[in-house]
Parts: sequence; C-alpha cells; structure tokens
Amino acid sequence: MGKVAVSVENLEKYFSPVTSGWRALLQPMAKPTVPALRGVSLDVKPGEVLALVGANGAGKSTLLRILTTLLLPTRGRAEVCGFDVAREPARVRRQLGYHTGADACLYARLSGRENLELFAGLNNMSRTDTLLRIAELTGLLGLKALLDRQVRTLSTGNIHRLGLARALLHKPSVLILDEPTRSLDPLAAAEFRRFLLQRIIAELGATVLFASHTLAEVEQLAGRIAVLDKGRLLICGTLSGVKAAAGEETLESSLEVLAGRPADHTS
Amino acid sequence: MAALFRRDLAVARSYRAAFFLELFETLFAAAGFYFLSRFIESPQLERALPQGTTYFSFALVGLAFFDYLSVALRAFDEGLRDARQNGTLEHLLVTQTSLPVILAGSILYPFVLLSLRTAIYLGWGAALFGFPLGGANWLGAFLVLAASILAFSGLGVLSASYLLVFKRGSPMNWALVGISSVVSGMMYPVSVLPVWLQRVARLVPVTYALEGMRSALLGHAGLRDLWPSLAALLIFAAILLPFSFVTFSWALRRTKITGTLTHF
Repeated sequence: MGKVAVSVENLEKYFSPVTSGWRALLQPMAKPTVPALRGVSLDVKPGEVLALVGANGAGKSTLLRILTTLLLPTRGRAEVCGFDVAREPARVRRQLGYHTGADACLYARLSGRENLELFAGLNNMSRTDTLLRIAELTGLLGLKALLDRQVRTLSTGNIHRLGLARALLHKPSVLILDEPTRSLDPLAAAEFRRFLLQRIIAELGATVLFASHTLAEVEQLAGRIAVLDKGRLLICGTLSGVKAAAGEETLESSLEVLAGRPADHTS
Repeated sequence: MAALFRRDLAVARSYRAAFFLELFETLFAAAGFYFLSRFIESPQLERALPQGTTYFSFALVGLAFFDYLSVALRAFDEGLRDARQNGTLEHLLVTQTSLPVILAGSILYPFVLLSLRTAIYLGWGAALFGFPLGGANWLGAFLVLAASILAFSGLGVLSASYLLVFKRGSPMNWALVGISSVVSGMMYPVSVLPVWLQRVARLVPVTYALEGMRSALLGHAGLRDLWPSLAALLIFAAILLPFSFVTFSWALRRTKITGTLTHF
C-alpha cells in the first residue's frame, strides 16, 4: 500500500428526485439533480481509523457506497489503494472488506462456516487458504464454538462478529464499516467495539473507515473524524482538533456548532 | 460458480421435507396427467403426433421441458430478489466476483434441480405409464437441452435487467411464458394452431426446444434430423446472449448512478 489508503478528491454525487404516480415509471431515466455529496475531499492513511459523522442524509453512506463500488460518483475522483473506484472497480474490491450494521447480512439458513466458505469462494480464495483463514479469524473473534450453527440461531452480536470475520477473510487493505453497531444493544455494541479496537485495529493494524451516529464509538475508535453536513465536508481532523475548531468541549456540541446549530449547554 | 451452487444446495437441504416432497410431486403430476390423457381422443391430434407416439408421451415431454423457460426467466429474478431480501446483495457485490457471474452461479442450482426433476418425471412415466425411453437419442437430447438453456438464459438476463431497473417482476416474463405456453406446442402439436399462430410459434425459442426434444426422445432422430431445431436455438442464443449482456451492463451502470442497485 502507498502513502494513502483511501483518497477522495472533489467527490460529488447527485441522485434523481423521487417521483410518484406515472412519473415514477421514468424515475430510472430521470436526471440526477438532488445533491448527496458536494465537493468532498479527504485522505485516509494506511493503519489509520477515520470516522464519518453527521446527521441522517449528510452523505456518509453515499461516500462509503462509492468507495465500495456500489455507486458511481457524478463527478470527482475516489481511489482505494491507488485504484479508481469508477474505472477499476474489480481491483478496488480486492482491497476492501465491507460490513454494515444491518440486521440481516448473512444467509440465515446456512451455518457460519458455510457463509464464510461461500464468501471466501467469491473472493477467489483457495480451499486451503479458506480453511486456515476461517480457523484464524474465528479464533481471533471468539466464534469457533458457534461456527457450525445456523446463523438464524445466533445472537445479533455474534452475527455481526461473523460479518466482521467475513469482511476480513481475504485480508483486505481497507475495512469499511457502515454503522456497524446500529442494530446491537448497548452491551453487545460495547463488546463489538472492544473486539474491533483490540483485535482488528490494534493486533491487525487495519485501515478502517467507518460511519457512525454513536459519538462514544467515534471517540473510542477513531484517530481522525470527518464531519459531513448536507453532503459537504465541514472538517476532517483529530478529536481534539475538531473540538478546538468548534470551540467546544464535547464532540456532540462541536458537531452542533460546526453544522451551524447553536450548541445546547443546558444538560 | 461452485460456491454459489453449494450455497443453494445447502439452503435447499436446510428445508429437508420440502426438498424431498418436491421430487415426489412429480409422481403425482405424471400420474394425474396419464389418466387425463386417456380421455383425450381426437383423430386430428393423432394425425399430428409423431408416428408411434401417445398423447401422454408427447405432452409429458412438453410439460417437463417447458419448465426450462420458466426457470431461466425466474431464476435470475429470484437470485436477485433473494439476495436483496436477506441483506446479502451488497456483500455479494463487494466480493471479487462480478454480478453477471453471481447471477450465472445463481441459476446453476435451479437448472440442476429442474434436470433432476425432469429425469424423475420421465422415469415415473417410463416405469409406471409406458413412456418409451428405449431408443431415445440421449446425446441429441443433451445438445438440444444445452442449446435451449443458452437461448433461454438470454431471455433470463433480459428479464434480470428489467428487474434491476424497475424492481418489480418483469412483464416480459408473463408475456413470454403466456405466449409460449399457447403457441410453442407444449400440450398440443403446433400444426393444430391457426396459420397465423403457427407463424408466431416460429418466433419463440421454446417451439424449437420442444420439437428437438421430442424428436430426440420420442422420434429417435439422429443428429442430422435434429440440426434444424439445434440451429434455430443457437441462432436465438447468438442474438439474445450478447444483446442481453449489453442490456444488463447498461442496467447495472444505471442503477449504480441512480443509487437503486440494492433497492427493492
């Protein structure tokens, strides 16, 4: 990997306006006019953990989806490990591990092992590498005893650990997490964060780019924070840098000030 | 492709009862159809059937192999819809396997299962109801089947392209299945149709698939005799496959622009 793991330059993404009635039939052909990202530029260095924060609709998931090649940018450039997401999507995907906090993300009627073997196959891993890597990751994530149970019988916390193991199977250079603890209860979320911090970030030295609404999670995991608001990047810096720029003591009030809303100091 | 086949087999095995009951369903279908066919007598129909062929044998081949069109059209749709509904589509799309290969892998299992089901269908027919398997041209039947799957897959990819963009079941599916079920000769020979419908039948690939399959299995035709059906199916495949791949690439790019790739 070079000096930059993820590079985003003047990235813009526009969506088509949502239509109803007979006009909805023409929706797929409609001109994209609704901005989701407006001139976003940022870099993530190898081994760095960058958090994307911002209100709903700020553009966090749109940015992550462009980086994972699920969306095409309207304008601008995005690269993962030097590969352009629009021109070299297959090479980009080779560098990526991706996990979302959605409730369902694995085949519920397959066992954990069958799920991992399926995704290893789709990532072109050999049978030997697959078996070794599954043993290694399930040991690391404490999933060995659960591996042969159907996913539908596992707790949400364990399903997400399994999802994380899937994202790490092919030894990706960059791990992208979209609200990874969204559907976890507070205890399971805290445990998941602990795993992420101790096993994935500290032990493996992974480059992580994640979006989150949980500010405690952001403060615990991220080395730097990128604050998005209505598709614009307001600031990208360390936690203390963001607080200093806003002139506030907490991340929550800093985000409010940066987004142009007066911070509430009453609580 | 193999990984996707193993996935579908494992999911099917997890519904053990349904898996085996589905195979037994063919017995009841074949038996019901046999007894029904014994009541159908028409001099016109007898004249139109290949020599020495009973209506039961004729229609059993039609019913069994017509399903290949239905599966080709449905399997792509169902592969996409299943992945969307169980939340794995995004994760499949972020792997190093491209979407066209994922879709191709997703239809492998349905086709293998259908082939097994068809074999059992014909097996029940032969064992219990006098379906004439002796003398069948198996190589010819295999070639007709392979050419049919290629031609039908082109239609399936077109249907999947429609589903990617418009999200709901393709009207092309019911139009194709509906028209084909009337004109292709599934239940009766094409020659009993009015002339204008016989012309429509020539535009439908299933017509050639059923003609070829009946000639190979019931008419014991050699490869030379099967060539017109095979050639027609290969021409359909040569036109439909490239066109459908171009259409699919456009649809995929369009959904990545509109942000609706994983919507349903």
